[in-house]
Amino acid sequence: MSHATATTATKQNLWGGGKSPFNVSYGKMMMWFFLLTDAFTFGAFLISYGTTRFFSAVWPDPNMVFHAFPFMGHAHLPLLFVSLMTFILIMSSVTMVLAVHAGHYGDRKGVIKWLLWTIIGGICFLSCQAWEWTHLHHIGAWWGSFTDVNTPVSEYAGFFNEKAIANPAFAEGAGLQATHDFYNYFFTITGFHGGHVASGVILLIMVLVNTINGTYDRRGHYEMVEKIGLYWHFVDLVWVFVFTCFYLL
Amino acid sequence: MSQHHSHNEEQFYYEGDQSKLYSGIMNHHFNHDLSSPESKTQIGRIWKVFWILLFVTIVEVVVGMFFSHAMPKVLVITFFLVLTILKAAYIVSVFMHLGDERKNFRLMILMPLVLFIWFIIAFLYDGDFWLFMNTTAPMR
Repeated sequence: MSHATATTATKQNLWGGGKSPFNVSYGKMMMWFFLLTDAFTFGAFLISYGTTRFFSAVWPDPNMVFHAFPFMGHAHLPLLFVSLMTFILIMSSVTMVLAVHAGHYGDRKGVIKWLLWTIIGGICFLSCQAWEWTHLHHIGAWWGSFTDVNTPVSEYAGFFNEKAIANPAFAEGAGLQATHDFYNYFFTITGFHGGHVASGVILLIMVLVNTINGTYDRRGHYEMVEKIGLYWHFVDLVWVFVFTCFYLL
Repeated sequence: MSQHHSHNEEQFYYEGDQSKLYSGIMNHHFNHDLSSPESKTQIGRIWKVFWILLFVTIVEVVVGMFFSHAMPKVLVITFFLVLTILKAAYIVSVFMHLGDERKNFRLMILMPLVLFIWFIIAFLYDGDFWLFMNTTAPMR
Protein backbone atom coordinates (compact mmCIF):
# COMPACT_ATOMS: atom_id res chain seq x y z
CA MET A 1 0.00 0.00 0.00
CA SER A 2 2.78 2.46 -0.84
CA HIS A 3 1.69 5.84 -2.10
CA ALA A 4 3.33 5.16 -5.42
CA THR A 5 0.32 3.09 -6.39
CA ALA A 6 -2.19 5.73 -5.30
CA THR A 7 -2.79 7.09 -8.76
CA THR A 8 -3.46 3.68 -10.28
CA ALA A 9 -5.74 2.41 -7.53
CA THR A 10 -9.02 0.82 -8.47
CA LYS A 11 -12.23 2.21 -7.05
CA GLN A 12 -12.28 -0.41 -4.34
CA ASN A 13 -8.75 0.41 -3.23
CA LEU A 14 -9.51 4.11 -3.28
CA TRP A 15 -12.38 3.92 -0.83
CA GLY A 16 -11.25 0.88 1.09
CA GLY A 17 -9.95 2.93 3.98
CA GLY A 18 -6.48 3.50 5.38
CA LYS A 19 -5.67 6.42 3.11
CA SER A 20 -7.23 9.49 1.61
CA PRO A 21 -9.27 8.76 -1.52
CA PHE A 22 -8.49 12.28 -2.65
CA ASN A 23 -4.75 12.00 -2.11
CA VAL A 24 -4.70 15.05 0.15
CA SER A 25 -3.98 15.36 3.81
CA TYR A 26 -6.74 15.83 6.35
CA GLY A 27 -5.67 19.38 7.19
CA LYS A 28 -5.69 20.53 3.59
CA MET A 29 -9.04 18.94 2.85
CA MET A 30 -10.60 20.53 5.91
CA MET A 31 -9.29 23.92 4.88
CA TRP A 32 -10.96 23.48 1.49
CA PHE A 33 -14.21 22.47 3.22
CA PHE A 34 -14.07 25.52 5.44
CA LEU A 35 -13.45 27.76 2.43
CA LEU A 36 -16.46 26.23 0.69
CA THR A 37 -18.70 27.05 3.63
CA ASP A 38 -17.26 30.54 3.89
CA ALA A 39 -17.90 31.01 0.18
CA PHE A 40 -21.56 30.23 0.78
CA THR A 41 -21.73 32.78 3.59
CA PHE A 42 -20.22 35.53 1.48
CA GLY A 43 -22.33 34.39 -1.43
CA ALA A 44 -25.46 34.69 0.65
CA PHE A 45 -24.54 38.25 1.59
CA LEU A 46 -23.83 39.22 -2.00
CA ILE A 47 -27.00 37.59 -3.29
CA SER A 48 -28.98 39.45 -0.66
CA TYR A 49 -27.34 42.66 -1.89
CA GLY A 50 -28.18 41.79 -5.48
CA THR A 51 -31.79 40.96 -4.70
CA THR A 52 -32.30 44.21 -2.78
CA ARG A 53 -30.66 46.17 -5.55
CA PHE A 54 -32.76 44.54 -8.26
CA PHE A 55 -35.99 45.35 -6.51
CA SER A 56 -35.03 48.99 -5.90
CA ALA A 57 -36.30 51.53 -8.37
CA VAL A 58 -33.04 53.50 -8.14
CA TRP A 59 -29.61 52.65 -6.77
CA PRO A 60 -26.43 54.66 -6.06
CA ASP A 61 -23.91 54.80 -8.88
CA PRO A 62 -20.50 53.44 -7.79
CA ASN A 63 -18.73 55.98 -9.99
CA MET A 64 -20.40 58.70 -7.94
CA VAL A 65 -19.90 57.10 -4.52
CA PHE A 66 -16.30 55.91 -4.84
CA HIS A 67 -14.48 58.79 -6.42
CA ALA A 68 -12.16 59.91 -3.64
CA PHE A 69 -8.44 59.25 -3.40
CA PRO A 70 -6.21 59.85 -0.40
CA PHE A 71 -4.32 63.16 -0.43
CA MET A 72 -6.11 64.25 -3.61
CA GLY A 73 -8.68 66.39 -1.81
CA HIS A 74 -11.93 66.70 -3.73
CA ALA A 75 -10.63 65.35 -7.03
CA HIS A 76 -13.18 63.21 -8.84
CA LEU A 77 -11.30 59.97 -9.55
CA PRO A 78 -13.91 57.25 -9.90
CA LEU A 79 -12.89 53.74 -8.99
CA LEU A 80 -9.18 54.53 -8.87
CA PHE A 81 -8.70 53.92 -5.17
CA VAL A 82 -10.54 50.60 -5.18
CA SER A 83 -8.51 49.53 -8.22
CA LEU A 84 -5.39 50.22 -6.19
CA MET A 85 -6.78 48.09 -3.37
CA THR A 86 -7.53 45.27 -5.79
CA PHE A 87 -4.01 45.48 -7.19
CA ILE A 88 -2.49 45.35 -3.69
CA LEU A 89 -4.49 42.23 -2.82
CA ILE A 90 -3.67 40.48 -6.10
CA MET A 91 0.02 41.27 -5.53
CA SER A 92 -0.15 39.82 -2.03
CA SER A 93 -1.72 36.70 -3.52
CA VAL A 94 1.22 36.35 -5.89
CA THR A 95 3.74 36.74 -3.07
CA MET A 96 1.75 34.12 -1.14
CA VAL A 97 2.03 31.57 -3.98
CA LEU A 98 5.75 32.29 -4.18
CA ALA A 99 6.01 31.61 -0.43
CA VAL A 100 4.23 28.28 -0.90
CA HIS A 101 6.52 27.48 -3.81
CA ALA A 102 9.60 28.24 -1.69
CA GLY A 103 8.16 26.00 1.02
CA HIS A 104 7.91 23.08 -1.39
CA TYR A 105 11.63 23.42 -2.06
CA GLY A 106 12.52 23.75 1.61
CA ASP A 107 13.82 27.28 1.07
CA ARG A 108 13.26 28.73 4.54
CA LYS A 109 14.67 32.15 3.74
CA GLY A 110 12.48 32.38 0.65
CA VAL A 111 9.41 31.51 2.64
CA ILE A 112 10.22 34.21 5.19
CA LYS A 113 10.80 36.81 2.48
CA TRP A 114 7.58 36.12 0.59
CA LEU A 115 5.48 35.77 3.75
CA LEU A 116 6.72 39.18 4.87
CA TRP A 117 5.66 40.74 1.57
CA THR A 118 2.26 39.07 1.85
CA ILE A 119 1.76 40.43 5.37
CA ILE A 120 2.77 43.91 4.23
CA GLY A 121 0.28 43.67 1.37
CA GLY A 122 -2.48 42.63 3.76
CA ILE A 123 -1.74 45.51 6.13
CA CYS A 124 -1.70 47.97 3.21
CA PHE A 125 -5.07 46.69 2.06
CA LEU A 126 -6.54 47.05 5.55
CA SER A 127 -5.18 50.59 5.79
CA CYS A 128 -6.77 51.48 2.47
CA GLN A 129 -10.08 50.01 3.56
CA ALA A 130 -9.88 51.96 6.83
CA TRP A 131 -9.30 55.16 4.85
CA GLU A 132 -12.26 54.41 2.60
CA TRP A 133 -14.52 53.77 5.60
CA THR A 134 -13.38 56.93 7.37
CA HIS A 135 -13.94 59.01 4.26
CA LEU A 136 -17.45 57.64 3.69
CA HIS A 137 -18.32 58.09 7.35
CA HIS A 138 -17.29 61.73 7.11
CA ILE A 139 -19.83 62.32 4.36
CA GLY A 140 -22.60 60.84 6.46
CA ALA A 141 -22.59 57.18 5.49
CA TRP A 142 -22.78 54.45 8.13
CA TRP A 143 -24.89 51.51 9.23
CA GLY A 144 -28.43 52.77 9.76
CA SER A 145 -27.79 56.12 8.12
CA PHE A 146 -30.20 58.01 5.85
CA THR A 147 -33.39 57.00 7.63
CA ASP A 148 -34.92 60.40 8.40
CA VAL A 149 -37.61 61.11 5.78
CA ASN A 150 -36.97 64.84 6.18
CA THR A 151 -33.38 64.50 4.99
CA PRO A 152 -32.86 67.06 2.21
CA VAL A 153 -32.29 65.43 -1.16
CA SER A 154 -29.03 67.32 -1.59
CA GLU A 155 -27.43 65.21 1.12
CA TYR A 156 -27.68 61.99 -0.86
CA ALA A 157 -28.23 63.05 -4.45
CA GLY A 158 -24.44 63.10 -4.85
CA PHE A 159 -24.39 59.31 -4.73
CA PHE A 160 -26.58 58.93 -7.80
CA ASN A 161 -26.19 59.61 -11.49
CA GLU A 162 -28.50 61.84 -13.52
CA LYS A 163 -30.58 58.97 -14.84
CA ALA A 164 -31.48 57.87 -11.32
CA ILE A 165 -32.25 61.40 -10.13
CA ALA A 166 -34.54 61.94 -13.10
CA ASN A 167 -36.60 58.91 -12.10
CA PRO A 168 -39.76 60.20 -10.35
CA ALA A 169 -39.45 57.49 -7.68
CA PHE A 170 -36.15 59.02 -6.55
CA ALA A 171 -37.55 62.00 -4.72
CA GLU A 172 -40.53 60.04 -3.43
CA GLY A 173 -38.40 58.11 -0.96
CA ALA A 174 -36.77 55.51 -3.17
CA GLY A 175 -33.53 57.55 -3.24
CA LEU A 176 -33.31 57.77 0.53
CA GLN A 177 -34.22 54.10 0.97
CA ALA A 178 -31.66 52.98 -1.60
CA THR A 179 -28.91 55.05 0.02
CA HIS A 180 -29.74 53.53 3.39
CA ASP A 181 -29.74 49.98 1.97
CA PHE A 182 -26.58 50.53 -0.04
CA TYR A 183 -24.50 51.64 2.91
CA ASN A 184 -25.82 48.94 5.21
CA TYR A 185 -24.71 46.33 2.72
CA PHE A 186 -21.46 48.07 1.90
CA PHE A 187 -20.20 48.31 5.48
CA THR A 188 -21.44 44.84 6.41
CA ILE A 189 -19.92 43.03 3.46
CA THR A 190 -16.64 44.93 3.26
CA GLY A 191 -16.43 44.73 7.06
CA PHE A 192 -16.90 40.97 7.06
CA HIS A 193 -14.28 40.71 4.32
CA GLY A 194 -11.94 43.05 6.19
CA GLY A 195 -12.31 40.87 9.26
CA HIS A 196 -11.16 37.92 7.17
CA VAL A 197 -8.17 39.90 5.90
CA ALA A 198 -7.27 40.91 9.45
CA SER A 199 -7.49 37.37 10.81
CA GLY A 200 -5.52 36.23 7.76
CA VAL A 201 -2.76 38.71 8.58
CA ILE A 202 -2.65 37.45 12.18
CA LEU A 203 -2.44 33.82 11.02
CA LEU A 204 0.25 34.75 8.50
CA ILE A 205 2.30 36.35 11.28
CA MET A 206 1.95 33.18 13.35
CA VAL A 207 3.11 31.04 10.42
CA LEU A 208 5.98 33.47 9.82
CA VAL A 209 7.12 33.15 13.44
CA ASN A 210 6.96 29.37 13.16
CA THR A 211 8.99 29.47 9.96
CA ILE A 212 11.65 31.68 11.54
CA ASN A 213 11.85 29.32 14.51
CA GLY A 214 12.43 26.39 12.17
CA THR A 215 9.26 24.54 13.21
CA TYR A 216 8.48 23.46 9.65
CA ASP A 217 12.03 22.36 8.92
CA ARG A 218 11.84 20.11 11.98
CA ARG A 219 8.43 18.86 10.87
CA GLY A 220 9.81 18.06 7.44
CA HIS A 221 7.34 19.98 5.31
CA TYR A 222 5.81 23.40 4.82
CA GLU A 223 2.22 22.31 4.41
CA MET A 224 1.06 24.86 6.97
CA VAL A 225 2.24 27.60 4.61
CA GLU A 226 0.16 25.97 1.90
CA LYS A 227 -2.93 25.87 4.09
CA ILE A 228 -2.70 29.50 5.13
CA GLY A 229 -2.03 30.23 1.47
CA LEU A 230 -5.37 28.66 0.59
CA TYR A 231 -7.08 30.91 3.13
CA TRP A 232 -5.32 33.98 1.79
CA HIS A 233 -6.25 33.24 -1.80
CA PHE A 234 -9.83 32.72 -0.72
CA VAL A 235 -9.78 36.20 0.85
CA ASP A 236 -8.47 37.56 -2.44
CA LEU A 237 -11.17 35.70 -4.37
CA VAL A 238 -13.93 37.10 -2.21
CA TRP A 239 -12.56 40.58 -2.81
CA VAL A 240 -12.67 39.95 -6.56
CA PHE A 241 -16.39 39.21 -6.26
CA VAL A 242 -17.12 42.05 -3.83
CA PHE A 243 -15.22 44.44 -6.08
CA THR A 244 -17.30 43.32 -9.06
CA CYS A 245 -20.67 43.51 -7.32
CA PHE A 246 -20.22 46.80 -5.50
CA TYR A 247 -17.97 48.78 -7.76
CA LEU A 248 -18.52 47.53 -11.28
CA LEU A 249 -22.06 46.26 -11.63
CA MET B 1 13.40 -2.01 20.99
CA SER B 2 12.79 -3.77 17.71
CA GLN B 3 9.05 -3.39 18.26
CA HIS B 4 9.37 0.39 17.89
CA HIS B 5 11.29 0.09 14.67
CA SER B 6 8.86 -2.28 13.06
CA HIS B 7 5.63 -0.40 13.60
CA ASN B 8 3.76 0.40 10.45
CA GLU B 9 5.36 3.58 9.20
CA GLU B 10 2.31 4.50 7.25
CA GLN B 11 0.05 4.20 10.26
CA PHE B 12 2.43 6.40 12.21
CA TYR B 13 2.32 9.09 9.57
CA TYR B 14 -1.41 8.69 9.08
CA GLU B 15 -2.13 9.84 12.56
CA GLY B 16 0.63 12.37 13.08
CA ASP B 17 1.83 13.90 9.91
CA GLN B 18 -0.32 13.44 6.91
CA SER B 19 1.32 15.50 4.27
CA LYS B 20 4.26 13.14 4.01
CA LEU B 21 1.84 10.49 2.81
CA TYR B 22 0.29 12.50 0.10
CA SER B 23 3.10 13.86 -1.95
CA GLY B 24 1.14 13.13 -5.10
CA ILE B 25 1.34 16.13 -7.38
CA MET B 26 2.53 18.45 -4.62
CA ASN B 27 5.86 16.70 -4.23
CA HIS B 28 8.14 18.14 -1.65
CA HIS B 29 11.32 18.84 -3.49
CA PHE B 30 13.63 19.22 -0.54
CA ASN B 31 16.48 17.64 -2.45
CA HIS B 32 15.95 19.77 -5.50
CA ASP B 33 17.18 23.20 -6.37
CA LEU B 34 14.96 26.24 -6.37
CA SER B 35 16.64 27.18 -9.65
CA SER B 36 15.82 23.85 -11.32
CA PRO B 37 13.88 23.98 -14.61
CA GLU B 38 10.66 22.69 -13.09
CA SER B 39 10.80 25.28 -10.36
CA LYS B 40 11.45 28.02 -12.90
CA THR B 41 8.52 26.81 -15.00
CA GLN B 42 6.22 26.96 -12.02
CA ILE B 43 7.40 30.44 -11.06
CA GLY B 44 6.91 31.54 -14.66
CA ARG B 45 3.38 30.19 -14.58
CA ILE B 46 2.65 32.13 -11.40
CA TRP B 47 3.79 35.44 -12.88
CA LYS B 48 1.95 34.75 -16.12
CA VAL B 49 -1.30 34.38 -14.21
CA PHE B 50 -0.52 37.59 -12.33
CA TRP B 51 -0.27 39.52 -15.62
CA ILE B 52 -3.49 37.96 -16.87
CA LEU B 53 -5.32 38.96 -13.67
CA LEU B 54 -3.92 42.48 -13.85
CA PHE B 55 -4.90 42.89 -17.49
CA VAL B 56 -8.44 41.59 -16.93
CA THR B 57 -8.88 43.90 -13.92
CA ILE B 58 -7.72 46.92 -15.92
CA VAL B 59 -10.17 46.07 -18.70
CA GLU B 60 -12.95 45.73 -16.15
CA VAL B 61 -12.17 49.07 -14.52
CA VAL B 62 -11.96 50.89 -17.85
CA VAL B 63 -15.30 49.46 -18.98
CA GLY B 64 -16.81 50.18 -15.57
CA MET B 65 -15.64 53.79 -15.66
CA PHE B 66 -16.46 54.73 -19.25
CA PHE B 67 -18.71 52.29 -21.04
CA SER B 68 -21.06 50.54 -18.65
CA HIS B 69 -23.57 53.40 -18.70
CA ALA B 70 -24.16 53.03 -22.42
CA MET B 71 -24.53 49.25 -22.38
CA PRO B 72 -27.76 47.33 -21.78
CA LYS B 73 -27.94 46.03 -18.21
CA VAL B 74 -27.88 42.35 -19.20
CA LEU B 75 -24.71 42.83 -21.22
CA VAL B 76 -23.00 44.66 -18.36
CA ILE B 77 -23.83 41.92 -15.90
CA THR B 78 -22.80 39.13 -18.26
CA PHE B 79 -19.55 40.87 -19.17
CA PHE B 80 -18.47 41.46 -15.58
CA LEU B 81 -19.59 38.09 -14.24
CA VAL B 82 -17.82 36.19 -17.01
CA LEU B 83 -14.58 38.10 -16.40
CA THR B 84 -14.89 37.68 -12.63
CA ILE B 85 -15.43 33.93 -12.95
CA LEU B 86 -12.45 33.81 -15.31
CA LYS B 87 -10.28 35.51 -12.68
CA ALA B 88 -11.63 33.19 -10.00
CA ALA B 89 -10.85 30.16 -12.18
CA TYR B 90 -7.23 31.25 -12.59
CA ILE B 91 -6.78 31.95 -8.88
CA VAL B 92 -8.37 28.66 -7.81
CA SER B 93 -6.64 26.41 -10.33
CA VAL B 94 -3.13 27.92 -10.34
CA PHE B 95 -2.66 29.85 -7.09
CA MET B 96 -4.62 27.45 -4.92
CA HIS B 97 -3.32 24.49 -6.93
CA LEU B 98 -6.76 22.95 -7.28
CA GLY B 99 -5.89 22.32 -10.92
CA ASP B 100 -3.11 20.01 -9.74
CA GLU B 101 -5.27 18.01 -7.40
CA ARG B 102 -7.00 14.77 -8.20
CA LYS B 103 -10.16 14.96 -10.30
CA ASN B 104 -12.54 13.63 -7.66
CA PHE B 105 -11.33 16.28 -5.21
CA ARG B 106 -11.69 19.04 -7.80
CA LEU B 107 -15.26 17.95 -8.54
CA MET B 108 -16.11 17.82 -4.85
CA ILE B 109 -15.13 21.46 -4.48
CA LEU B 110 -16.46 22.76 -7.79
CA MET B 111 -19.87 21.06 -8.04
CA PRO B 112 -21.49 22.92 -5.12
CA LEU B 113 -20.19 26.19 -6.52
CA VAL B 114 -21.68 25.45 -9.93
CA LEU B 115 -25.02 24.80 -8.26
CA PHE B 116 -24.51 28.07 -6.41
CA ILE B 117 -24.69 29.87 -9.75
CA TRP B 118 -28.27 28.62 -10.08
CA PHE B 119 -28.92 30.10 -6.64
CA ILE B 120 -27.53 33.47 -7.75
CA ILE B 121 -29.60 33.59 -10.92
CA ALA B 122 -32.77 32.53 -9.10
CA PHE B 123 -32.55 35.26 -6.49
CA LEU B 124 -31.56 38.03 -8.86
CA TYR B 125 -34.50 37.06 -11.04
CA ASP B 126 -36.69 37.10 -7.95
CA GLY B 127 -35.50 40.59 -7.04
CA ASP B 128 -36.18 41.81 -10.53
CA PHE B 129 -39.67 40.35 -10.43
CA TRP B 130 -40.32 42.05 -7.09
CA LEU B 131 -39.63 45.40 -8.70
CA PHE B 132 -41.96 44.61 -11.57
CA MET B 133 -44.60 43.41 -9.14
CA ASN B 134 -44.34 46.46 -6.89
CA THR B 135 -44.50 48.96 -9.70
CA THR B 136 -47.14 47.45 -11.97
CA ALA B 137 -49.55 45.34 -9.96
CA PRO B 138 -52.74 47.09 -8.89
CA MET B 139 -52.94 48.00 -5.20
CA ARG B 140 -55.92 46.64 -3.31
